[in-house]
Amino acid sequence: MSLPIDPFAASVISIVALALLGLPIGHAMIASSILYLMMEGLDLGTAAEQMLNGLFSSYILLAVPLFILAAELMNAGAMTMRLLAFCNAFVGRFRGGLALVNVVQSVIFAGMSGSAIADAAGTGKLMQKMMTEGGKYPPAFAAALTASSAVIGPIIPPSIPVVIYALVSDASIGYLFLAGVVPGLVMGLMQAGLIVGVSRRRRFPVEPPVPARDLPRATLTALPALLMPAVLLGGIYGGATTPTEAAAVAALYALLVSALLYRSITPASLYASLSGAARTTISIGMLIAGAIVYNYVVTLENIPTALSAWLAAFDLSPLGFLLMVNVILLALGCLLEGTTILLVIVPVFIPTANALGIDLVHFGIVCVVNIMLGLITPPYGLLLFVMASISGQKLNAIVREVLPFLFAMLAALALITFFPGLSLWLPRLFGYQG
Amino acid sequence: MTDRLISLGGWLHRRAENVAVAMLAVMFAAFIVQVVCRYLLNLPVGWASELTLVMWLWLVLWGAGLVLPEREEIRFDVIWGAAGPKARRWMQGIAATALLILYGASLPAAWDFVSFMKIQKTAYLRIRYDHLFMVFMIFAVAVLLRYVWLLIQVLRGRVEAGGRTLEDLP
Repeated sequence: MSLPIDPFAASVISIVALALLGLPIGHAMIASSILYLMMEGLDLGTAAEQMLNGLFSSYILLAVPLFILAAELMNAGAMTMRLLAFCNAFVGRFRGGLALVNVVQSVIFAGMSGSAIADAAGTGKLMQKMMTEGGKYPPAFAAALTASSAVIGPIIPPSIPVVIYALVSDASIGYLFLAGVVPGLVMGLMQAGLIVGVSRRRRFPVEPPVPARDLPRATLTALPALLMPAVLLGGIYGGATTPTEAAAVAALYALLVSALLYRSITPASLYASLSGAARTTISIGMLIAGAIVYNYVVTLENIPTALSAWLAAFDLSPLGFLLMVNVILLALGCLLEGTTILLVIVPVFIPTANALGIDLVHFGIVCVVNIMLGLITPPYGLLLFVMASISGQKLNAIVREVLPFLFAMLAALALITFFPGLSLWLPRLFGYQG
Repeated sequence: MTDRLISLGGWLHRRAENVAVAMLAVMFAAFIVQVVCRYLLNLPVGWASELTLVMWLWLVLWGAGLVLPEREEIRFDVIWGAAGPKARRWMQGIAATALLILYGASLPAAWDFVSFMKIQKTAYLRIRYDHLFMVFMIFAVAVLLRYVWLLIQVLRGRVEAGGRTLEDLP
C-alpha cells in the first residue's frame, strides 16, 4: 500500500499541529511517534519500549531532579537572602549599586541552582521589591534586569541544560561544567558594564555603604551559602563524586545548612520543597520521555546523517556552520522552549559539528548560551513572562528595557562562538584533551 | 453525586502527590546512601543506584499520569492564549481526540511489551521488569482517562484553563 504522505513528514506535521493546538509537548511527541510507527507498520509497543528503556538507563538525567531540589531547599532555607545581603555589602555602595547586586548574586547563585527559571523565581521577587522600594529603580528596568541576569545561571555550573546536552552529545559533563565558567563571567561583566554605563544618565541611586567593620560579619553569615559551589565543584573535580552524586550532595548540604545552621526550615517547608521539586521534575521528565521516543523515530530515519551529508555539499567552514546554528537556534528559541530544542533540535547538528572538527564541549556551551538567550528574546521569552508575573509590569515595558541587555548578550554569544578558547581554557587546565 | 466524586478525586490526587513526594525523597536518600557507602565506607552499592533509577522512572510516569495538573504541563500556548473560548473548544477537542486515538491504538501493544518483560529481572534488586514497567500502563491509562474527561468537558461546553506555571521550567 502506498501512503499519500511520507510517514516521517507526517510525524513532523503532527507534532507541530498538536503542539499548536495546545497539547503538552511531551504528549505531542509521543502521539506523533505512534502515528509514525502506525504508518510504517511497525510494532506500536516500540513507543513504550523506547520510553521505558530510555528513562531507566539515563543515569546522568538523575542530576536534574536533584539540582531542582537543591535550588528549592536553598530558597526555602533563606540561603538566598543571606547571599543578597552579602552582595549588597560589597557592591551596593557604587552608583546603580542594587542593579549590580542583582548581577553579582546571579553569578554566585548560578553556581548553585542550575536553572534560570529557579534563579529568577527564587530571588526575583526579593530583588524586585528591593529595587523598586521608594521608587529607586523603574520597575520595568528591575524586572528586565532580573530576567537578563538569570540567563547567566545555566551557563555557570551546575546547569540542568548542560546535563541534558551531555546526555544528547556524549560530551563529558565535568568538562562541560568547567567550560561554562569563563563565558558566564564574561556575560556577567558585560551586564555590569552596561549598568555602570547607564547609571549616571538614568540617575540610579547609591546604597548607603555598609561600614567596613560590618563586612566580616556579612561574609561570615553568608559563608555556608558561598561555600556551596566549592562543595559541589570540589566534589566533582576532586574526583570524589560523579556530577549526579554531587547534585545529591548539594541538596543535602542545602538541607543541613538550612536546618541546622540557619534553623529556617520546618517539616512543612521541607515537604513544600520536595513537592515543588517533584512537580518540576515531572513536567521536565515528561518532555524528556517524549523526546526519547521521538528521537528513536529520528534515528530510524537517519536524519542527522542525512543533514550532515546535505550540509557537506555547501562546504561550510566550521565558523560558518556555528553561525548558521546560532541563527537557527535563536529563531527557534523565540518559539520553542529550551529543553525541547536541546533534546530534539541540537542532536541533529551534532554529527555535522563532529565532522567539521568543532569541539563538542565548545559546541555545547554555544548551544546552551544560545538557548538561554531564547528565554529573554521577545515575543516568547519564558523569563520575560516570569518577571512580568512577579513584577506586575506590562510585558511591553519589560521588553523595551530588556533589549539593551539582549544585545549585550548577543555580543557575548558572538565572542563565545568566535573564540573557543573562552570555553576551553579552563577544561584544558584540568586536563581536557580537546 | 458529582460533588462527592470530585471530592474523592481531590483526595486521591493528594495521595498520589504524597506518593510522588515519597519517591523523590527515597531517590534523594538512596543517593546519599550511595555516596556514603562508596566513598566513606568503600562499599560498592549497586542496589542504591538501581533504586534511584527505579524511583526516577516511576516518579516521572506516575506523576505525569496522576499528579501533574494540566496547567503545569509544558506546552506551546501562544495560539491557545490568543484564542477565544469557542476556538479553544475546537482546539482542545481535536487535540484530545487525536491523543485518544493514538494512545488508545498503542495500548494493547504496550501491554504486550510490558508483560513480555516478565522474563527478565533487574540486576541488583531482582525486580521483575514487567512489574517495574507496569508504571507505563498506569501512566497510559491515567492519561487516556484524563483526556476522555477533557473531551467530555469540551462536549459539555467547558474548557480547562490552559497554560502553565512559569516557575516550573528550567
